[in-house]
Amino acid sequence: MKATRDITATQAAAVVVSTIIGVGVLPLPLFTVQAADTGAPLVTLLASVLALVGLLFVTLLGMRFPDHSIIQYSEQIIGKWPARTINACVIVFFALLTSLTAREFGEVVVTSVLKQTPVEVTVIVMLMLAAISARNNITTFSYIHLFYVPLLLVPVLMIITLSLKNAEPLNLQPIWGNQPSGMLQGILTVAALFQGSFVMTIMIPAMRRPAKALAVSFYSILIAGGLYVVIVIAVVGVFGAQETKKLLWPTLELAKATSLPANVLERLDGAFLAVWVTAVFTTLLTSYFLTSVSLKQMLRLEEPRIFTFFLLPFVFVLAMMPANIAKMYEAVARAGQIGLGLTMVYPGLLLLISLLRRKRGKPIER
Amino acid sequence: MPLFGQRTRHLKGKPRRGNRKPDTGISDPPSGRKPIDGRLDALIAEATRVFGTDTTLTIRRFRIFGSFPAAMLYFPNMLDQTALNESILKPAMTVPPGQSLSEWTSQGLLGKLASEALWHSECREIEDCDSMIQALLQGDTVLAAEGSPAALVVGTRKIDKRGIDQPGTEQVIRGPREGFVEPIGPNIALIRYRLQSAELRTRQMTIGRRTLSKVVICYMDGLTDPELLAEVDRRLSAIDIDAVLDSGYLEQFIEDNQWSPFPQVQYTERPDKVVANLLEGRIAILVDGSPLALIVPTVFNQFYQAVEDYTERFMQMSAIRMARLVALVFSLVFPSIYVSIISFNPELIPTEFAVAVAGGRAGVPWPAVVEVLIIEISMEVLREATIRLPQQVGGALSIVGVLVIGQAAVAAGFASPITVVIIALTTIGSFATPAYNAALALRLLRFPLIIIAGIFGLYGVMIGLILIANHLLSLKSFGVPYLSPLVPVSFEGMKDLLIRGPLWWMKRRPEFLKPRDADRVGPNMTEPPETNEDAGRGSSTPSNSKE
Repeated sequence: MKATRDITATQAAAVVVSTIIGVGVLPLPLFTVQAADTGAPLVTLLASVLALVGLLFVTLLGMRFPDHSIIQYSEQIIGKWPARTINACVIVFFALLTSLTAREFGEVVVTSVLKQTPVEVTVIVMLMLAAISARNNITTFSYIHLFYVPLLLVPVLMIITLSLKNAEPLNLQPIWGNQPSGMLQGILTVAALFQGSFVMTIMIPAMRRPAKALAVSFYSILIAGGLYVVIVIAVVGVFGAQETKKLLWPTLELAKATSLPANVLERLDGAFLAVWVTAVFTTLLTSYFLTSVSLKQMLRLEEPRIFTFFLLPFVFVLAMMPANIAKMYEAVARAGQIGLGLTMVYPGLLLLISLLRRKRGKPIER
Repeated sequence: MPLFGQRTRHLKGKPRRGNRKPDTGISDPPSGRKPIDGRLDALIAEATRVFGTDTTLTIRRFRIFGSFPAAMLYFPNMLDQTALNESILKPAMTVPPGQSLSEWTSQGLLGKLASEALWHSECREIEDCDSMIQALLQGDTVLAAEGSPAALVVGTRKIDKRGIDQPGTEQVIRGPREGFVEPIGPNIALIRYRLQSAELRTRQMTIGRRTLSKVVICYMDGLTDPELLAEVDRRLSAIDIDAVLDSGYLEQFIEDNQWSPFPQVQYTERPDKVVANLLEGRIAILVDGSPLALIVPTVFNQFYQAVEDYTERFMQMSAIRMARLVALVFSLVFPSIYVSIISFNPELIPTEFAVAVAGGRAGVPWPAVVEVLIIEISMEVLREATIRLPQQVGGALSIVGVLVIGQAAVAAGFASPITVVIIALTTIGSFATPAYNAALALRLLRFPLIIIAGIFGLYGVMIGLILIANHLLSLKSFGVPYLSPLVPVSFEGMKDLLIRGPLWWMKRRPEFLKPRDADRVGPNMTEPPETNEDAGRGSSTPSNSKE
């Protein structure tokens, strides 16, 4: 099936934004204060910049080959078998990312809301949800993201706004942090949370005007990275760096510490978590969709839906591998580092080689 | 991928031959059919053979001008007897004034008769027996003469119809009071007198192997997307069924996804609504015998819009539309949110209220989900019973049902008062949705949501809502995304989504319908009329109400 080009720049940006905003937001402030205590906002900002660079590699590559995704053009750039080997790694990585996202959120739900439910149930429910929705085509996929973006932004911004009355500007100083040595590590950890933006590679072949992809990448990182920075500022401002280090999911704690004016809802964490299901779902959907589409493209299959349910057991088993939350976060950290190589260094190298070898795809006629 | 890529399986069959020949009133070429050979007895024998022992077929033999043997065949209950006597039989029996009988020969008799003697506007000649049978079935009169190789069909059909009165299911406070009736003729007239434009086109086809129901597609030429028209035509042509007794039959064959709880075709009994939709670039489908016109393509926002939104002033109606939207959302999620808060997250609600709720539930033996399900189901039973009962009894039952049973259920410790309040609000909310078929969908989806809320709490409700939203996002009605203009975003469409913008502000027709002429308000209508003096006179009153 020839891909239709009917995705607008807004839809593409929505896909990237809602993909980036996901379960990673919950422990994000913890990662950053561990790296550079009061320098946390700065770490987040720098990580966004790094993520933007990585995304630009993918985008520039995509604009050189506007009809293909990375799975397809990498074979033209570095040859069939080397590309296939690395692409296989990319696909396995996104399957892993899917499973870890599902597991992470499953743990959050089991820990804070459904205390008697086994984590397997929440994980499989989320994965099923993603698998069912990943059967849609890419247009519907982008509609889904566009529809949910406001649902992600509004609750977070609301909680941040409401919590700011408890914030203390002194908690944020010095902005460099007290021990800036851990900053580099922190930047890498946080940049790994942006890995979903790799989805740009399959969006560009479906975009109405691939030339706008650059602006899309820029604005989507601006929105998502901006939200990350604001969250970190709010959490560190309210709790202070040292307190934040003791919280597993500081963003959730922020929601807990906030209440609506007029006391309509006494506590917001349950409601926040419910709304946050959508954020996790969109992230999960993207990585699941990306995995199945990439697998399809690598094996050169026509039927797009073939892998959605076939992948499910593998992803589920992967998700259940870590024994507990601590092991899971170790796995998340390690996967994040490998992922940086696959989603930033690999496209960077491909871009370099394609520039050197002067390879480019046919420009689309309009 | 073509625009209409997601086709359903049932439409792939080839259209049946002869099933949808355009009913133009011109007889079909007689090839392969039994011709009329000029022998009157043979013709009558053929008619009696086809209709067998049917007793209503009337055959009236007479002599044209007293000399040429002829016969009239008709079903007397389906036609206008006075017209038959006065404008057919009488002129056929008297030689036209100023002519003498010698001018007439049996050769070409009927043609000459039609053009010179008969006082009836609708006459046509047919040359085969099949057309004759069909004309008889429609209520027309067949006039045949000895020695004539053709027969004359005179359009005498007259079916009694009820008067045009208020649309029962779509009443408005401000707006036209006319509703469609069953016969298709008056319905088309109701549309055409509102939309006196040469661009209004109708296209007729016959669907139903046995009922041979007339189906008319109405559209605006030069406005409706031709691709859409072709698709509607294609889907209708593919229908092969023995009977089409209502437009609802057609809906089930032409909708995109039959497994969706959400209706993808809108129906209405209001001609003004049909006209407004035609003017937006939609297509209306009317069926003879059904007072409900179908409108395609349909998007979700049509289901909470009402005619009054456009006839009343915009600010008030925008607020009311939002209230309607709240009611729509309530009717879907209210009970499930209640169940999940009570069962899983009571800490969300203020403590005093939580205590009151717990106090109310003290004597109730079941978990909240079972309690809500029981009350919900009894409510559905009550509602269905109220619809089925004769009107005189219905009012009494609804009072007995809602007040007495509700009160007694609480007193008996069967349900907590707050549950009754929640279910009552939900039910009332579902009545606030103007489109009955959309309200039905939400009514249906409420139950799985309640159950999943009982299992997973708010988390489950969200999962359920995500599934519903994803389904809506993937749904299409004749190639148009179901949630347009929200997704994909259209700024122009937003003016008529949550609010109803002022008419002069909604300058363009909805772009998701791909109208070929997008402007509906004249270019000078940039301001409200009172400040419009220097901008020249705006175009005549824009007839642009949607719905």
